[in-house]
Amino acid sequence: MISHAPKIAGSVAAALLVLFPLVYSAGNYDFVMHLWITAFYYAILASSWALLAGYGGQFSFAHLAFMALGAYGAGILDNYVFLTSLPTGTCTEFGLLGTNIVFLPPAGTGDAGACLTAARATWPEGATVSRFPLLLQIAFGAIVGGGAGWLIGTLVLRLRAAYLALFTVGLSEILRAVLSAEIWLTRGQAGMPMSPLFPEGITILGTTYGPAAKLPAYYVMLALFFATLSLLLWVARSRIGLFLRSLREDEDAAEALGVDTVKWKRAVFVLTAAIAATAGAVQGHYVGLITPNTLVLLQMSLVIAMAVIGGLENLVAAAIGAILISFALEFLRTDFTILGLEVDMTTWRLVFFGLLLMLTLRFLRNGVIQGALMWIERRGVGAETVAKRRAAEEAK
Amino acid sequence: MITLDVKDIRKKFGNHQVLKGVSFRIEGPELVGLIGPNGAGKTTLTNVLDGAIKPDSGTIRLNGTRIDPLHPYEIARAGLGRTFQVTRAFRRMTVLENLYVPAMAMDASVNRKEMEEKANEILAFLTIDHLRNEYGRALSGGQQKLLELGRLLMLDPDVYILDEPFAGVHPSLMATIYKWIERVNGEGKAIILISHQMESIFTLCRRLLVLNFGDLIADGPPAEVKNDPAVIDAYLGVEEDMSGTGLLTQEASHA
Repeated sequence: MISHAPKIAGSVAAALLVLFPLVYSAGNYDFVMHLWITAFYYAILASSWALLAGYGGQFSFAHLAFMALGAYGAGILDNYVFLTSLPTGTCTEFGLLGTNIVFLPPAGTGDAGACLTAARATWPEGATVSRFPLLLQIAFGAIVGGGAGWLIGTLVLRLRAAYLALFTVGLSEILRAVLSAEIWLTRGQAGMPMSPLFPEGITILGTTYGPAAKLPAYYVMLALFFATLSLLLWVARSRIGLFLRSLREDEDAAEALGVDTVKWKRAVFVLTAAIAATAGAVQGHYVGLITPNTLVLLQMSLVIAMAVIGGLENLVAAAIGAILISFALEFLRTDFTILGLEVDMTTWRLVFFGLLLMLTLRFLRNGVIQGALMWIERRGVGAETVAKRRAAEEAK
Repeated sequence: MITLDVKDIRKKFGNHQVLKGVSFRIEGPELVGLIGPNGAGKTTLTNVLDGAIKPDSGTIRLNGTRIDPLHPYEIARAGLGRTFQVTRAFRRMTVLENLYVPAMAMDASVNRKEMEEKANEILAFLTIDHLRNEYGRALSGGQQKLLELGRLLMLDPDVYILDEPFAGVHPSLMATIYKWIERVNGEGKAIILISHQMESIFTLCRRLLVLNFGDLIADGPPAEVKNDPAVIDAYLGVEEDMSGTGLLTQEASHA
């Protein structure tokens, strides 16, 4: 009998995650909530990358580039597009369904809000100005990311293994350079400010939370994490997961057996890119600032390492790996003294982390978490097989 | 009725004309052997037939429909399946999953239970049903050949192309492959068998196509082909040299 322990443990863990912000009350509440939100963010990235690389065999380094496209896509709408009840007359604008959509000129070409500010001064009381709706911003980010995923998926169709990795490294470095350089639009290294997830605050069950409160953001990111994981697991267990694994194993053989490898390769790029972009847009709104540094190669390596240490071919394991590592990296910041030497953990933690990665790759190719899960799940299988064989032999 | 109509297929790699206008026609449940020395163009022809390589010119019609402009997966779905010279089992997928891939690719809404039953029946036929939950990589070379044949049965095409199904296979498994070929052929499907094992070819096939340096130099019943002067000259050499060394000498003399 295959053990149900992982499923039960998963449900318990999910319930604990939902209850945690309500029961936790230590003084470092905000800090711990922040760690969890970051952990969920990384779990979304690592598990979606695991579908792309672990199932589809597409070892792409462009995952954070998609994330950044989502974040900047939403950020540009957040900064430059407003909805007003009256036309300004001076800004670029058009009316739609009784609302006026105003496009501000980007920051670099003059005072961004000048035309809107000037118009507002002349408007009667009661005229409203609001940011582009947050959900639509995030949806736009996801579409930009997914579109880029389609494009990259198409460009790398003929590239395999190392060439795919090199291509995507180059691509994400180009994107980073562009985001740094196009200061007029993105504000470059200074970063682009983004409004909070709940600019007006939010009231949940009678309690009002301010725009900077952690609890609502925690639940937003948790919900996104659960939704992502459910979607990914559904895909992985459907025939699409089967096709992805077959094309990972042998593209020509899969094709010869009737699998439209081009379609599924593109599809997995689009899906995982859109997920990364959504996570990027939400995280941007949560943090309140997006910078090109969020997609440096080190960050991408971190996501890859999380997925690899967790278990590349198991989406849940990759997510757990991401959560554990993002916490570990935080707690490894504490310096300590050994043999009279003071170890500065802010720099050394990455060394320990690298060591862990190397050991995992050498000894546990399936990852630490996945290895453990498989051990629990298959513990009884050996004994069961032996029993079956014996019974069969006795029957003879 | 199943028809495969190959007309004047030409393919050039660089300055090397690999196929110089190959034409043949298969009608009904034929069992055709495709032979020729190494480098004759057998595998290239297979790759052209299954769409992996596009011919420079010529047409291929399967059951009257042109398939040469199609993608390999479309050709597979249209009814032409093949195995590979070097086995290509999906190594990190279970044996059953290996079999599910073509079934689900053919029919997205395939009945899971029927698919499972069919897969298990095929594995039992191929004598590898005890390995159904093992990864492809856990199988021996011969068992992987059987797995490929099983996958092809799940695809269930009209024309089966088998590229060296006997290479490196233990005699005990050979019997299973023979049985498999009889079964497929008995179900009314056409088979093109590529092999260097003349014994098997002459035992199984009622018609031989002989390829030499990209030319189809003979097409007929084995007895006739065997005595064709062009074939003897190009490939078979003296009769007792028909297997192994004779071929190598032939190759060397052309090189």
